[in-house]
Amino acid sequence: MHVISQLARLSPVLASCMLLSAMVHGAPAGGPIPAGVILVKGAWPSATGSPLPLPEDGSIANNAYDSAYFGLAYPISRDWTQRYEGPPPSDSGYYVLAQIEPSNPSGTSRGRVLIAAQDMFFTLAPASNALELVNYYKDHLGDGYRVEGSPTTLSIANHDFVRLDYLSSAAGLHWHVLATEIRCHVVQFVFTGHSAEAMERLIQNINAVTLPDETRYPVCVKNYATAENLIERDDPVFTELRFNPVPVRIVIDREGKVKHVHFLSAFPEQARSISDALSRWRFKPYQSNGEPVEVETGLMFGRLPRPNISTPH
Amino acid sequence: MKKPIEIASVLLFSAALALPGTALSQTDPGVRPGAINGQAGATQSDPLPLPSVGSNSPTGVLEFFDNGLGRFQEQEVVSGGANNGLGPRFNFNSCSGCHAQPAVGGSGSANNPQFQVISQGIASGSTNTLPSFITAHGPTREARFPFFTNANGTPNTNAPNGGVEDLFTVSGRSDAGACNLQQPNFQQAQQNNNIIFRIPTPTFGSGLIENIDDSTLLANQAAQAGNNLGIGGAFNRNGNDGTIARFGWKAQNKSLLLFAGEAYNVEMGITNELFGQERPLPEEEQHAGLPASCLNLSGHGYPEDATNFTVASNSDQAAQNAQVPADIVLFAEFMRLLAPPVQSTSTPGGAQSISNGFALFKEIGCSTCHTPAIRSTQPSNITASLGNSTARAFSDFEIHHMGTKLADNVSQGGAGGDQFRSAPLWGLGQRIFFLHDGRTTNLLVAIEDHSSNGSEATQVEENFDSLSSGQRQDILNFLRSL
Repeated sequence: MHVISQLARLSPVLASCMLLSAMVHGAPAGGPIPAGVILVKGAWPSATGSPLPLPEDGSIANNAYDSAYFGLAYPISRDWTQRYEGPPPSDSGYYVLAQIEPSNPSGTSRGRVLIAAQDMFFTLAPASNALELVNYYKDHLGDGYRVEGSPTTLSIANHDFVRLDYLSSAAGLHWHVLATEIRCHVVQFVFTGHSAEAMERLIQNINAVTLPDETRYPVCVKNYATAENLIERDDPVFTELRFNPVPVRIVIDREGKVKHVHFLSAFPEQARSISDALSRWRFKPYQSNGEPVEVETGLMFGRLPRPNISTPH
Repeated sequence: MKKPIEIASVLLFSAALALPGTALSQTDPGVRPGAINGQAGATQSDPLPLPSVGSNSPTGVLEFFDNGLGRFQEQEVVSGGANNGLGPRFNFNSCSGCHAQPAVGGSGSANNPQFQVISQGIASGSTNTLPSFITAHGPTREARFPFFTNANGTPNTNAPNGGVEDLFTVSGRSDAGACNLQQPNFQQAQQNNNIIFRIPTPTFGSGLIENIDDSTLLANQAAQAGNNLGIGGAFNRNGNDGTIARFGWKAQNKSLLLFAGEAYNVEMGITNELFGQERPLPEEEQHAGLPASCLNLSGHGYPEDATNFTVASNSDQAAQNAQVPADIVLFAEFMRLLAPPVQSTSTPGGAQSISNGFALFKEIGCSTCHTPAIRSTQPSNITASLGNSTARAFSDFEIHHMGTKLADNVSQGGAGGDQFRSAPLWGLGQRIFFLHDGRTTNLLVAIEDHSSNGSEATQVEENFDSLSSGQRQDILNFLRSL
């Protein structure tokens, strides 16, 4: 099936998401260029196939950050807001989901919250779970940071979390990282502020967070798209020579067909070629308790983001 | 020594103006006075080479540096002179005119030479007008139109352009024959908000940047993966071999030779052994190209800059050797062999403030992208100082999404309209204009513009905002010490 015909089946939102990746959008043809808009995009997220929620599609409304993809609802104070939206996901699977702070700039003493996610299919860190990832963070803290609380596990809203606390001595900034695993991502709440007491109050608020029942979602499996699980495979035919990593998340249905493709970072023509190829891939259906179930996995096209090299501490 | 002091006084005044948000009582100290590039013995017209080059190791390398420095300062003409090939379109007539602050090889100076192009007869006033965005003491600029235009002159947002629109033409010059070209319609582009600017990037220490192995940059990227600051990052890779490109505002150029060759062609209109054809404007290229009357104006054929196969015999073998390469090769050697700037340990603000500022700079997250030091460069087959050295460039050489405040809607290589290379900060203390378009002379404005919708730097900028006035001043002093 070609991308064009796939697009015809998509919701208007997803269709525009795909077309939007064709470089430009949002400006009225023939008028002055509006200020403060990004019309020319490089590698950018997009999606094709069944219209499913995406990690980057969360929003702040009604005093909460909500993410349909992560099944996450994080309540925020009425007088807190998101001043600026985050960047698009990186080609190593790092997302800025929300940046929340007091709406009154004089309230910076109350700290800030960054909600981020690392797709564990594509992380640059040698980590496979939240504890390993947070330990990697701790081990790579720069000079001047002092660990106030080594990574420890705890339970919040019936989910396992890992907590790391550290202090930047000169700046007097306290950092508290609370990380949990959702759909093969490590979702991180990063609290930053100068007041330890204010930070602790913020952290306590996280007990009101709503987290997902992951049985509602496709099983996520790293490296499922290997030869032993692939029945048919057509490699994409790229129309331009590029060297960027193209991380892709796919959802495979019970029949082994690719029902949803999410490009974390791809140029438009790369997304078209890969979507076209993936529409012809066939997998062995993933089995759970003897029954075929949907499975979500990751594929990296293009250039691998990192060879096997050691990282400086 | 007089010039930097004058500049500093101007900038102190401008920096003292109140800013919204971040700046109330802290101020940008302005251009750091004192030794040029922090180097004893450097002058505006004689920047210092790397130590091993200064000691002429290997034998002859100093002659290449000096020869390159000389060619970097040559003023080009269209025809009939010693240095021919200028135009038919150009932004200026020498490398050093634009790369001038605080010394030859640097960024734009306080006195914009482009403002004098017509008054000094470099371009004819009968056929050229000075664009309104070129001012006497504003940034030295190149202009680009992000989009091609419709028939009625309005931008067509479905047709990205992004190429350089040279400011001037050689038309009307006595050495340009019958070439008759018009300047781009800058006024219309400004009315349609379809114009962006770039300023010259400084080149001090660039040989060290060129000599960093890709694996070193990749390892640094991986080490920053756990930054908890909302920062991602990517590399702009060379379209031919896939290795990491690292020069230019969007890290679009792989090497100094490419950087030199492209600039010679694009900024001065001089064809060379890398770019062998005259370059029409992007919109000209889509139609008939340059008219025949504007081709081969030098009368010597192409490329206008070429290897000198025949040079005068000279008892000084090194001097004779250095005459052989084409200009772009010597430009590249000159830049490659330039010493990096030296940080001041005490100016401005004193040693303690600078030290505090550096600690704060790292702790609030600036150093995640503006990596203080990349260790270490590859072994060098050119000169010892380039090999196994530390590049204290304050850059990760990645491209980052910088959001709507800085986006210029120009794509270069793998970089999109809002992605820019982490600008190397070494030498920042004696730079005048900041950010890719030179929009400000005030570091506080430059810092503030790092946060906006879609920017990877928002968290870090807000960390800066959260500091006390004294801490912010320490960071400013540190930055001006570089």
